[in-house]
Amino acid sequence: MSEATPPQSRPPQSRPGAVPELADLTDSSEWVTTSSTRRGLPPTREIVGVVLPAIVAATVALTLWEIWISVRDIKEYMVPAPRAIGRALLDDPSRFVEAGSISLVHALGGLGFGGGAAFLLAVVMAHSRPLERALYPLAILVKVTPVVAVAPLFLIWFGFNAWPKLLVAAMITFFPVLVNAMTGLRSIDPTSHDFLRALNASRWQVFWKLRLPASLPYVLAALRISVPLSLIGAVVAEWFAADSGVGQIIVIASGELDTPVLFGAVFVLALIGVTFTGTIAYIERRVLFWHESSSGV
Amino acid sequence: MTATHAPSVAAVDVSGLGHQYVADAGAVQALDGLDLRVGDGEFVALVGPSGCGKSTLLRILAGLLAPTDGSALVRGDAPQVALTSHAVGLVTQDPGLLPWRTVSGNVSLVLEVTGASADVPELLGRVGIDAFADYHPRELSGGMRQRVALARALAHGPRLLLMDEPFGSLDEFSREDIGLELLRIWERDRVSILFVTHSIREAVLLADRVVVMSAAPGRIIADLPVQLPRPRSQALEQTPDFAAAVAEVRRAMGGRE
Repeated sequence: MSEATPPQSRPPQSRPGAVPELADLTDSSEWVTTSSTRRGLPPTREIVGVVLPAIVAATVALTLWEIWISVRDIKEYMVPAPRAIGRALLDDPSRFVEAGSISLVHALGGLGFGGGAAFLLAVVMAHSRPLERALYPLAILVKVTPVVAVAPLFLIWFGFNAWPKLLVAAMITFFPVLVNAMTGLRSIDPTSHDFLRALNASRWQVFWKLRLPASLPYVLAALRISVPLSLIGAVVAEWFAADSGVGQIIVIASGELDTPVLFGAVFVLALIGVTFTGTIAYIERRVLFWHESSSGV
Repeated sequence: MTATHAPSVAAVDVSGLGHQYVADAGAVQALDGLDLRVGDGEFVALVGPSGCGKSTLLRILAGLLAPTDGSALVRGDAPQVALTSHAVGLVTQDPGLLPWRTVSGNVSLVLEVTGASADVPELLGRVGIDAFADYHPRELSGGMRQRVALARALAHGPRLLLMDEPFGSLDEFSREDIGLELLRIWERDRVSILFVTHSIREAVLLADRVVVMSAAPGRIIADLPVQLPRPRSQALEQTPDFAAAVAEVRRAMGGRE
């Protein structure tokens, strides 16, 4: 038992430059990371350390913006001051909240449809080269078609309801998830695969026990790319329909040259995007504690 | 589970085995006319220079690769049949543990796949890692990961262990330790072991017989019984008999290590 350390002395965190304790030198283990380092900073310190600098920087930027507008006397319909944008937002907050939630549902729903369909197709394609060769060109076709071109078409086909928005958002998120999921499902460790095969594991067992978990880092990375894309898709479709969501606010406000409201709409979309992406990043950190990517930032 | 076989059925019976890999650059003859028998409960070490087809042989026996020539029997059946009865445990140099599963999760993976049942804490205790049941592979040293691989290979109660340079990436200390632990398990469970290694000392310390393979195409060039007393321990390595046995194997290999 030369390399085993007793359980009560869990290895210390591998801080760079830290002097190893005597107990560490007696074993030959190389501790890559421990459960306490891999989860990142504790929540309160994370808020202070990560969020605070961003808030300070944003405040400074907004103040400089405000000063610039008043010093140069810039017209509000060209660039509004932050306070004017704030007034526009607070003037009718329920309008922005409602439109924002509708756009969020469109984006999220579209991502669900598009990502889900892409993942199922990836499972099929990862298991069969002929099917991959047959279906991949179609997937490319979906990818190269600009969503702006098909949004009016979807509107004609499905009418003024949620479907055109969901479908445009689904279409734009489809390809990144498909490609990444397929790569992930194929990226299994050959040794682990051999081991399961030598145990007479079925394809189904190999899928559940090996392929699916191995694909998660890729799928989550694809989701991180797809979140902003799904918002673009949802807003583009809302824009064409002009019946709901933040896209509608943008169409109306631009017609009226109501620049503060336009900026308000942009702000709402940015907020949704950041929250959405942050949630995915949080899930990634929790689920992928075992993956190399989680040992970094 | 597989006790229906008579004890006389060899764990491994290979005759005239050949395997040829076909690559773009041309065919490579990995194995040629190989004969090998591992008796029931026997511990056989296989040594030979790198690239002599040792791993190819183990992959064939594990049912992962169909040979192009000759026949291979595992406990009297073709390897592909033997693997359906879960009679074989596999340990490789890179254990291929699942990084998202804990130590005990990696061992119970075998039970989930095979439907066998076993006492996982007891298994971990047998290889000396019961204290690390809830650790993930990347939190462990190479030696401990190899212990997990050993516990995992034993989980479904196989009658034959195929080991492909299992301790090859470990330092000398861990290597000897885990080797002797393997011997204790072997003496207790009376499984058959085919143990591929490039260390002559390791082969002599552990095995009943050391089989020497030639460079590609791989075939058997010597089959040397190790007449050293059991149970074996580190102290044995200091004896003249041990040195003589090592020298004999080295001579059979043509003087190289």
